[in-house]
Amino acid sequence: MQYDRKMKIGLFVPCYVDALYPEVGVATYKLLRSLGVGVEYPESQTCCGQPMGNAGFQNMADNLAQKYDELFSTYEYVVAPSASCAAYVRFFHPHILNHECAAAKKTLDLVEFLHDVLKVDHLPSKFPHKVSLHNSCHGVRELGLSSPSERNVPRFNKIRDLLNLVEGITILEPERVDECCGFGGMFSVEEPAVSTRMGTEKLKRHMATGAEYITGPDSSCLMHMQGIAKKQNLPIKFIHVAEILSAGL
Amino acid sequence: MSTKHSIAAEKFLQNGERVTRHDQTFWSVRTKRDTLAYELDEWENLREAADKIKKHTVTHLADYLEQFEQNATRNGGIVHWAKDAEEYNQIVLKILRQHEVKKVVKSKSMLTEECHLNDHLFKQGIDVVETDLGERILQLMELAPSHIVMPAIHITREQVAECFRQKGIIAEHGTHAAEGILPTGEDPNQSSDPTFLTRAARYHLRDNFMTAECGMTGANFGIAETGDIVVCTNEGNADMSTSVPKLHIVSMGIEKLIPNYEAMGVFQRLLARHGTGQATTVYTSHFRGPRPGGEMHIILVDNGRSSILGNEEHWQTLKCMRCGACMNTCPVYRRTGGYSYTYFIPGPIGINLGMLKNADENYHNLSACSLCCSCDNVCPVKVDLSTQIYRWRQNLDGMHHADAMKKAMSKGMKVIFEHPNLYTSSLKFAPLVNAMPKCLTGIKLNGWTYGHEMPVFAKKSFHEIWKKQLRSESV
Amino acid sequence: MNFMDTKEHILNSLRKNVRETYDMPELSFKKRTFEDPVKAFIETTITTAGAKLMEIKPDDDINQKIREVYPDARIIASNIPGVEANLNPDTLAEAQELEKTDVGVIKGEVACAENGCVWIPQTMKEKAICFISECLVILVSRKNIVSNMHEAYERIQFNDYGFGTFISGPSKTADIEQSLVYGAQAARGVTIFLTD
Repeated sequence: MQYDRKMKIGLFVPCYVDALYPEVGVATYKLLRSLGVGVEYPESQTCCGQPMGNAGFQNMADNLAQKYDELFSTYEYVVAPSASCAAYVRFFHPHILNHECAAAKKTLDLVEFLHDVLKVDHLPSKFPHKVSLHNSCHGVRELGLSSPSERNVPRFNKIRDLLNLVEGITILEPERVDECCGFGGMFSVEEPAVSTRMGTEKLKRHMATGAEYITGPDSSCLMHMQGIAKKQNLPIKFIHVAEILSAGL
Repeated sequence: MSTKHSIAAEKFLQNGERVTRHDQTFWSVRTKRDTLAYELDEWENLREAADKIKKHTVTHLADYLEQFEQNATRNGGIVHWAKDAEEYNQIVLKILRQHEVKKVVKSKSMLTEECHLNDHLFKQGIDVVETDLGERILQLMELAPSHIVMPAIHITREQVAECFRQKGIIAEHGTHAAEGILPTGEDPNQSSDPTFLTRAARYHLRDNFMTAECGMTGANFGIAETGDIVVCTNEGNADMSTSVPKLHIVSMGIEKLIPNYEAMGVFQRLLARHGTGQATTVYTSHFRGPRPGGEMHIILVDNGRSSILGNEEHWQTLKCMRCGACMNTCPVYRRTGGYSYTYFIPGPIGINLGMLKNADENYHNLSACSLCCSCDNVCPVKVDLSTQIYRWRQNLDGMHHADAMKKAMSKGMKVIFEHPNLYTSSLKFAPLVNAMPKCLTGIKLNGWTYGHEMPVFAKKSFHEIWKKQLRSESV
Repeated sequence: MNFMDTKEHILNSLRKNVRETYDMPELSFKKRTFEDPVKAFIETTITTAGAKLMEIKPDDDINQKIREVYPDARIIASNIPGVEANLNPDTLAEAQELEKTDVGVIKGEVACAENGCVWIPQTMKEKAICFISECLVILVSRKNIVSNMHEAYERIQFNDYGFGTFISGPSKTADIEQSLVYGAQAARGVTIFLTD
């Protein structure tokens, strides 16, 4: 499917995706290109500052927020394959800098961009596997990628809508559909016992669906669960939503 | 580096079965709440209304308090004002002394916990009997509540039975309580049947209701327009406490006021649905004056609330109606229990209230949050609990309570992230970390290796892939 | 600091600390109503509220109905004219005299379908009858059933006694390991007599 608009977006690949999961960045890039979107990647980008902010050092993130705004403010949209980072930029950068930020306003998670802006309704990808959908907290409750289970609002899930376009996929969801996996940035370091317990439970609920993969829009949650799964030798694989949506491209 | 919460949490988590039980107990309450939420079309309207009513009331609180005092006084009540816990405790003692009270029956009130009233009265030789079953169990066991609505839910039936035996309650009431409940021939001294134990407590508390000279209650709501005090319970203990003794003392935090009955309709529908997942508490009692021949005293307690109103970042905690829903949904509270927190109110609201009360003592609780934001979405009055926790964390450095390791890590990140060249060269060398022996990466560098394997750095970062491959094709 | 000082201190502190004021909202959103509130009330009462319910016809004998529901009751307390009672809460010197009451018979004024609440204004000298009785019979007219608590709060009335309570079924607790037990401190059983 081609989009007739000549749209150019700025690609933001958060630091840990850059270093640990570059394939997620590549998948995002390929997917966007296949949809006819022009993609630029400002090379001096680094991090949105969330790790410091959540740890209590938002003031150390001011230059990063400023830099981000300078790098990305000229694009029509900024797309990041990481719900939590997109949310941090959009909702916290204006507070950190104490003014409206042109780039922050236009920053979207990949799922939002595909679902709400491009309104993708067809994909050529195939993924003949059972996946359990991980609804990351900041995706659910900050970006509104799905309806939070706490609220009485019409049920929706944008990630599921997109995955449904993939041929052969079986989408499952765990019990306690959007309970936190216990990552929380430095929370996992400062409260390791409860973080590990939350992650272990989350893994068990994902695995109880019978899925081969856990997938989600946020590699940080996946990284956390993967770290625990490895330590406990649990037979489950992890894959970012972007990789499924671009499978076969 | 570890906070008191994280240390206590690790200890609590060592008993996996207990954690499972604790988590499932409160998750089931959350689930019941959800069921009620989904079946009520106006659910979100009610939350929005509650939020706005509370914002309106607390920003007009002085006027409403005056209106309340006028009406309550006209109704025959006696209104007192206490600026802090000390003054509050003195007022209670004075009233009790005037009436020569030796025993008080008391229904659950978080305000009295906040002010340490019971200890104060015990020291003065006045007996205070908690009448909520959970609170009574804790009082007999000399423990503090571990949840504000279900205070003793962490205690097992066997522990309750043992406590009742030790305190002579089974010896005194066991035979009577066993009638029609335990199979004939079963020894009441051996039973830990919850119905039997509840019945034994019923008779034990009956004796106290009959002989106490004063009943004390908290207040779920005060209504400015009518002067009503509204108390909601399931057990009926607030009503028993105030139907037999002639003296009724109400303790109310000033933020519990709402304007009128129209508002009351909103809050009555929200309180139990959120707190326990019931459509209503069994009793919603309106006290509009003393009982015939009796006296009703209402003590309006500030104890820091009026200054919270001036706190730009945290004033909205004053909207809280103490339903406990944020604890029930909190994934950290459910798995670490109430005693892991340093403040007597645990969970998301307790983290914030504790900081407002005494930051130096309670900053330890700020680590007990993964910023999942579930609490924000269950809160019936829309307190922005997780955002407030985030804000407190920003202030810790200024309070000299910042964690040294986290600060060092953040500083390191700042240096690297602010220098793209440094960043990209670290990316190049990062994969070397993969080859480092576990004993080096797993040292106390961080808590990550407690439950995780280290993530593996990619051979080529996205940066590199971009430069070498994607950049040229993107043009 | 004396009493007046404290009050002024608190009020001044509140007035000084208000940063921005908010208006009272309109509560005009649509509230849940039932097509047949009577049917809904009956359903809620016998399920979630955990009470019993009897529909009383105009020529039914109330006293016989009470005996039907509570055949073992020895001490009945009530001040309702026509109810045969051993104790009258209006004429007792002390509330303690109601302690052994098996069945208290009282009157409700408004009933709410969504949660089984019945509004019971104090109409007797000793309101202890509403709580101390082992079991309660609450008389309420089907004409006074409303759908939700907003409607209930529009209707409730107070008298000089200055007390009223919504009761929804028997006293309950789940404080011991969350197992639900009826009859914590107050009535162990409640029967609603639904009259015309």
